[in-house]
Amino acid sequence: MAQETILDPFKLWKAMYDKAETNFNEIVNEIIHKEAFAEWLGQVQLGYLQYQELIQNTTDTYLKQINVPTREEISNIASLVINVEEKVETLQEKIEDEILDKDKSVSAEIAKLKTNISKLDKKMDQILNYFKQMEEAANKAQAPSGAQK
Amino acid sequence: MVFATSQDLESMIDVLPEDMQKDYRKFKRAVEVLTKEPEPLVGQTPKEVIWTKNKAKLYRYQPNMKKTNKVPILMIYALINKPYILDLAPGSSLIEYLTNKGHDVYLLDWGTPGYEDRHMKFDDYVMDYIPRAVKKVLRTSEAKEITMFGYCIGGTLTAIFAALHPHLPIRNIVFLTSPFDFENADLFTLWTDERYFNLDKIVDTFGNVPPEMIDFGNKLLKPYVNFVGPYISLFNRADNEEFVRNWRLLQKWVADGIPFPGEAYRQWIGEFYQKNKLIKDELYIRGQQVKLSNITANVLNIAADRDHIAIPEQTERLMDKISSKDKTFKLLSAGHVSVTVGKNASKTTYPLIEEWISEHSK
Repeated sequence: MAQETILDPFKLWKAMYDKAETNFNEIVNEIIHKEAFAEWLGQVQLGYLQYQELIQNTTDTYLKQINVPTREEISNIASLVINVEEKVETLQEKIEDEILDKDKSVSAEIAKLKTNISKLDKKMDQILNYFKQMEEAANKAQAPSGAQK
Repeated sequence: MVFATSQDLESMIDVLPEDMQKDYRKFKRAVEVLTKEPEPLVGQTPKEVIWTKNKAKLYRYQPNMKKTNKVPILMIYALINKPYILDLAPGSSLIEYLTNKGHDVYLLDWGTPGYEDRHMKFDDYVMDYIPRAVKKVLRTSEAKEITMFGYCIGGTLTAIFAALHPHLPIRNIVFLTSPFDFENADLFTLWTDERYFNLDKIVDTFGNVPPEMIDFGNKLLKPYVNFVGPYISLFNRADNEEFVRNWRLLQKWVADGIPFPGEAYRQWIGEFYQKNKLIKDELYIRGQQVKLSNITANVLNIAADRDHIAIPEQTERLMDKISSKDKTFKLLSAGHVSVTVGKNASKTTYPLIEEWISEHSK
């Protein structure tokens, strides 16, 4: 009983959140869905952007006066580096393509050579067979005449 | 002296009722989490860089692990996030899940744009970065086809890319909470209304749009829940270390954005949110008309029913536009973040994606 009466700030906060969540959510949802909220948001945004622009312009002017490069000037150098890197990348790609194409053409050439050699092999076999047959025919022709003698 | 004081305080707490002691310890732990603890480690799946361009890097994950699926997966994520969002922590990483199942996973890391990148447009990402990354992936994996995975704006980029490159061997595309139709994007439609939203002034003033501004806009969709809710949850459950670990990871995920390249932002708000050109076939990228009907790959399109950033209606409209014969739309019970990371994602989203990809890669 005594424990229940002790003030616990965390529990109080949690209870407040739980109770407020539903009602508060409904109210907030209703507000943010209104066109007037979008208009207000736009105005706040514009104010913030104008403030940012003022800060940026002031900083740029100051940096120029003290001879320190501005963000724009540093980013221009970075762009030049990126352009060089792009050229290197394109060259690398071309080299890779070339090597791959060469690989492909060499493989095709080898395949073609293999086919030609196997065709040649067959022809050689045919010629050898032909010679064999001629030799056998000549041997046969000689054999009966030798027997007659 | 300080030690003596804190010891004194602890001994004073010990005489308090048990409930209050518990609350005090939770409060103390929550304050520690908010003030003392270092940033949680993220993106721990082993990876190698196989290609770079400007600030972008192409990663191959777990390259030494056996790849049983012959079709590699290339992941494209949102321009406003960091690459670890799909590889948050062991056990809460889509990339880890897929690589452990034998998939060859690649991710195109956009890097953090500098002021010099403020002129980057969707055109550059779609026509220069993604096609080259696809080529590199196909070469490295020696595959004939590829699976594309697009998350949030990354999915929108992937759809534009696929529509403009129908000749490329894209076998499957997985979209995760990617918006395509901007006719009714709820509050974003209202807030980015041309009459109130100072689009050109934002881009001209900032160059690249600061991540804080984008984060503020996202949180404003549910202000009470997003600005106050996380801290109430932390103070309430700070005695649960598992909860604290996930809370820290999620807070890092949500708050750790990168600048949106200025010209890309001008396109994103102007041509997508304000004029809704993509779904109407009115979007032109480097002079080429983007027709979503050119997409013929197998498609799995996933939306989350509590997503306020990419509302399910915005994602589902893609299904009527594409020409794919095999297309599936899945609505999961989750929010924009919880569909990608956390316990539910590991149990529902990851197996769904993995099984669909495996089935469609045979």
